[in-house]
Amino acid sequence: MDQPDQEKLKATKKDNTLKHIFSWIFRNIKFLLIPGSRIEELTFKEIEYEKTISKRKFIRRLKSVLTLFGIVLILVIASFAVHAPWISPYTFFEVNDVYPELINYGPPMPGHPLGLTEFGRDVLGRMIWGARSSLTIALPSIALSVALGIVFGVLAGYYGGWIDSLIMRICDVFLAFPYIILVMVVVAIWGQRIEIIMLAYGFLGIPGYARLIRGSVLQARELPYVQAAKVAGAGNRRIMFRHILPNTIQPVLISFTFDIGGIILSLAGLGFLGYSDPQMVEWGNDVAHAKGRLPVAPWASFWPGLMILIAVLGFMLVGDGLRDALDPRLKSIFGGRKKKEKKKKK
Amino acid sequence: MGMGKYLIRRILMLLPVLFGALTLTFILSRLMPGSPAYALLPEQATAEDIARVERELGLDRPIWEQFFRYFGDLFTGNWGVSLSIARGQPVWNIVLQRFPRTFEIALLSIFIAGFIGIKTGVISAAHRNKTRDTILRGTALVGVAIPVFWMGLILQYFLGFQLDLFPVVGYKTPGIGDPPVITNFRLIDCIIGLRFDLLGDYLFHLILPVFCLSFITLAGITRQTRSSMLEVLEQDYVRTARAKGCEEKDVINKHARKNALIPTITVVGLQFGYLLGGAILTETTFSLHGIGELLVVAIQNFDYFVLCAVVMITTLAFIIVNLSIDLLYGIVDPRIRY
Repeated sequence: MDQPDQEKLKATKKDNTLKHIFSWIFRNIKFLLIPGSRIEELTFKEIEYEKTISKRKFIRRLKSVLTLFGIVLILVIASFAVHAPWISPYTFFEVNDVYPELINYGPPMPGHPLGLTEFGRDVLGRMIWGARSSLTIALPSIALSVALGIVFGVLAGYYGGWIDSLIMRICDVFLAFPYIILVMVVVAIWGQRIEIIMLAYGFLGIPGYARLIRGSVLQARELPYVQAAKVAGAGNRRIMFRHILPNTIQPVLISFTFDIGGIILSLAGLGFLGYSDPQMVEWGNDVAHAKGRLPVAPWASFWPGLMILIAVLGFMLVGDGLRDALDPRLKSIFGGRKKKEKKKKK
Repeated sequence: MGMGKYLIRRILMLLPVLFGALTLTFILSRLMPGSPAYALLPEQATAEDIARVERELGLDRPIWEQFFRYFGDLFTGNWGVSLSIARGQPVWNIVLQRFPRTFEIALLSIFIAGFIGIKTGVISAAHRNKTRDTILRGTALVGVAIPVFWMGLILQYFLGFQLDLFPVVGYKTPGIGDPPVITNFRLIDCIIGLRFDLLGDYLFHLILPVFCLSFITLAGITRQTRSSMLEVLEQDYVRTARAKGCEEKDVINKHARKNALIPTITVVGLQFGYLLGGAILTETTFSLHGIGELLVVAIQNFDYFVLCAVVMITTLAFIIVNLSIDLLYGIVDPRIRY
């Protein structure tokens, strides 16, 4: 038990660290998403069990109408973001230009199927380009909050004592503060730039994840495998990040999907209040500009808002499906079907 | 541990949080660009004038002294004057005018959302994985995902502009007058002052915003009720109730629902706390002159005494609501002892 462990340690140390990190993430994503992927680490009986039950169960659980719908919505938004130059009828500069010859907030016409917004810009084009800015802000900031949140949460949960109190009190302060106010103040102070908004969301997401992880680390800390690792001579860092973390990361995965949606929604709100980067095409901001012309040009505020709804709904639906599939407390939701199968076998 | 002891311990634990929140507000307000003196003085003011006003406001002192003075002022009720929104008016008055409206709207919304949300959550759990459940869950998720300002605009367009059923913005018909100011709560003032025409007008204006807010809060409550109902329905006592021949309706409404409501209370409380923090977007969309709208204006105009006061009020409200939820737990669930 001891020797191969040590050899592995040496081997990993020799490896390129970047490669190591990527392989860690890849392995753990596989472990989380496809139960049965850790075949080489399991005994024969466990392999049989995993193969027959786990995979089928997981996919079956994920296969609800709502989740599939959510995946489709995410794919639509993601392809808008990635392939915007191909899909959109106008380029980024064209949808940001000023057209004096066209009517502001003009009705739908040939060449502009969804009508025009202020300065004669095309609504459809701005809808499609907006996907890019939403995802560009949401994804990096969520990555930042998850990465730092995990570190702080594991430290707080594992060491306890004053470290725990300190980290958790700071988290409490930020959680008691309304989220959007802080972002607004930060943007008001340091300027309406995309990287400032990104960092603001990233840092303000940390407390939520830290608290989430800490809760499950507190439970995991008392489990026998942690003591086994201690007895085997593993250091604190190894126990924290190789033994406890992979076992406690599931709630983060669920919350993560929801929070992408949450950030896109909050970002739209920020844009609506006029705090987005003026150089980006942003749905919330478009709605805010068209708000004053609502009775005359409802299309200019309707379509960007619909895109916000689609993007957020997609991530929320998938998050909901993931939670149903992963949450052990809710296993019994699917108890009905399992019982029927057992009866058939008998 | 007795209830009183628990309460004292909880309050002591809250003090650092409040302290931290206030410190954060102080730091952010001092980081804001521009000096409040520029906002207070006319444009042609000289450098000496600016220095004089800064000295009066205590802004020439070292940052530590400013920090202590800020805390002293907060607790002695000297919250300063508004710099740009309503120049020279004490912040305390502005907050006192704005907060009751937010409170009324939040309370109405949370009542409606709680009532409907618990109902739909129970129905959804009772028919799990059936069509009805899928529809209710889908609707609940739309509620979480919908941008509230967009929903408000759509309602304004169809019900306000097209069908002309509801007023579009504001909290009263222009020029209708106000009830005698007694408590600052317009609902209560209208009743005390026996101005039922004003009461009707006020409630009529609140229909759309309250509908928006209830719809987005409803979703969280429905989801929480559903998942805790599902958990409770697997418990032994539910099976016992079924075995002894209770009707399914009674099992769900009497045995299961009461137990499932405990986690739901937390969610309702959290949502209420957030609503008190000012439903910023809804208030802006419908221009309701609540505390959330005040906050947006304060940030836009760098009115930092107002900003500090509003943040303090919202944080305090959030903390107090959370504390009362914890205490409510002990009353609702006799198994919990402190």
